[in-house]
Amino acid sequence: MGAFLIKDIMLLLRDRSELLILLAMPFLLIAILGFSLRGIFSGDLEALEMDIALVSEENEAQAVASIQNEIEEMGVPPEQTEALTQAAESASPQTMLVSLFEDESLSELITVERMDRAQAQQSLDEETVDAVITLPEGFTQKSLRNMLFGSKEGSELELLAADLSSPQTDVLDSILQEFVRTVNFEASISRLSGQESAAEVSGGIETITAREPITSFQYYTIGMAVMFVLFVGSTIAGQANLEQKQMVFDRIRLSNRSPLLYLSSKAIAASAIVTVQLALLFSLSALLFQTFAADSWAFWSGIAIISITLAFSVGCLAALMVAITLRLESDAVPAIFSGGVISLMAFVGGSFMPLDGMPEMLRAIGNWTPNGAALSAYFSWLLEPDLSQLMEPLMRIGIVAVVFLLLALALFPRKGGAA
Amino acid sequence: MLETDKLTKQFKDTIAVDDVSLVLKRGESVGLLGPNGAGKSTAIAMISTLMKPSSGDVRLNGKSVLKKPDDMRRVLGVVPQKIALYEELSAYENLKFFGRLYGLSGNKLEQRIEYVLELVGLADRKKELVKNYSGGMQRRVNLAAAMMHEPEVLIMDEPTVGIDPQSRNHLLETIRKLNRDEGMTVLYTSHYMEEVEKLCDRVYIMDHGKVIAEGTKEELKAILSDQETVLIEFDQNYPELFKKLSEIEGVQHSTIEEQSLKLIIPRGTRMLAALFHEAERYGAQVINVNVQTPTLEDVFLRLTGRKLRD
Repeated sequence: MGAFLIKDIMLLLRDRSELLILLAMPFLLIAILGFSLRGIFSGDLEALEMDIALVSEENEAQAVASIQNEIEEMGVPPEQTEALTQAAESASPQTMLVSLFEDESLSELITVERMDRAQAQQSLDEETVDAVITLPEGFTQKSLRNMLFGSKEGSELELLAADLSSPQTDVLDSILQEFVRTVNFEASISRLSGQESAAEVSGGIETITAREPITSFQYYTIGMAVMFVLFVGSTIAGQANLEQKQMVFDRIRLSNRSPLLYLSSKAIAASAIVTVQLALLFSLSALLFQTFAADSWAFWSGIAIISITLAFSVGCLAALMVAITLRLESDAVPAIFSGGVISLMAFVGGSFMPLDGMPEMLRAIGNWTPNGAALSAYFSWLLEPDLSQLMEPLMRIGIVAVVFLLLALALFPRKGGAA
Repeated sequence: MLETDKLTKQFKDTIAVDDVSLVLKRGESVGLLGPNGAGKSTAIAMISTLMKPSSGDVRLNGKSVLKKPDDMRRVLGVVPQKIALYEELSAYENLKFFGRLYGLSGNKLEQRIEYVLELVGLADRKKELVKNYSGGMQRRVNLAAAMMHEPEVLIMDEPTVGIDPQSRNHLLETIRKLNRDEGMTVLYTSHYMEEVEKLCDRVYIMDHGKVIAEGTKEELKAILSDQETVLIEFDQNYPELFKKLSEIEGVQHSTIEEQSLKLIIPRGTRMLAALFHEAERYGAQVINVNVQTPTLEDVFLRLTGRKLRD
């Protein structure tokens, strides 16, 4: 096995054109795409600027007064009544929300204008505002009851956006989620597109303060890395084809070595090359573009786990391609794979752009490609280094790898005997 | 030691090897002579256990190797017609890889590499990449790689195709040394009659997939023992004269080569006077006349009606 591995790696190291494809090309693309598409990702705040309309369907002062009456009718001691009445006044959620948008850090990005519902809908239709936040009738009352009396009554905000999938809407949604969490409401925010009628949608609350957004360099370092590791498969299959053509494969067969040893050495060589390739791309990108700020062992361990799983999967893919190449006695398989299939896999896997706006079926296919599943795993780890979040994408990569391996074993021409 | 019994290989409608039975005794050097397309390489592939025959058997020391090729592969060193090496690796790296495949390691591996490199005369250039070698040097490494595991039988498929005379001589000398000094059994296929004549004790002649003659060189030449070859060189080509001379009574075979005419005639026939007389009538100038004993090439010509390199 060692002899095969050393030979395969030496051959790759001496093939400058392959090295260029496997290492220099992705690095060049990371640099080009990382710099040129910086604005699309969170690195450029201008891209997130938005105007919103705030619609209040209640009289805030009346709602606060009504709660204050309820406090007085509760028959609690006068000191407590006074404290609760003051709290109701100062913690009015409507006032807090407006102050949140007036905060220095958000006011640069978000401009808020108070409107009535009809005006807001018209502005949304005319695209003079990007979204409408509506505080429905009873919102303040329900929220204050929640806060002060611990009632389990849910209160809800309504978010109406022209484009639900835009990054701006995502940011606004996250801000509102954080807002409701901060004021400790048992509330949900209903998200509706501009064309839909208002319907309540409850969703989980996520924290936006614990995660940094993914930068363009992070996106393309990972996107290009998971795409270019696939070329290792065609490189290894191309090598096998050359070995067959030049009768070196026959020499290997004459040495009485098990044909499966040859196949497994190809898979292991491919896995080893992918591991080194990923390590080089990530570390170079981190050094030159400061792609990954996290420098803890825990962070890099997660990256290593994903990379090794991906490398295993590409190894199995390489074995499958070797098996088909040797069976067909043709170099068509590596040529077609590197000439078109990789680009297709990279596209559905999300290497070129996020697939958020793409059809569900395309995203599902992408999730079952080794590169697409690895991309999800890397992003998930970047956003929240939680091992349990990795299980699903890693399992998908593993299942696909096993399928590749079984197919490779079934298709590999076992010319162990006189064949 | 090694024998084939009615070995046949059929590809769809074409019979590449037809009922071929060969025997190689230990320490023998046997030639398989035939023109391109005669079926030599297919026969070699089957003997080497790399191709399954359509019918027939291959036996090593009396045991069939078709189902269990391991024993055969252990004793075989195969030098294919192609350069079966990694061009991007040096000769040393190639030999190390193939040596390790045969389970060699450490000092034993290094010593074996040194030995085979000395044998093929490339010890001083072992670090150069194979792609930078001349064709002849590549063929020598091709032989060295087949020698790494100390095989008992060396099977060579046209090992001198496309190389310079110096490399060819070196290669032939190496093979002769291996056979005569080290007792290695050799099966040598070629369409170069002079190589087979120089190296081999016994010869099988193949054409159109069949063995058409076999025996020692002397036995084969005895086929033509009652004949002799007359080679007449003229100052230029005389098509009409050459046709006339070929038709003289007693001429058994004739070949025209530019301005030369080769005739196979019965030994002891007094035909030269008639030939000169006819040439004089045509006003042709004879430059040289050579009466030869038959070669294997002549035997092949007689048996098949065509030349080895046709």
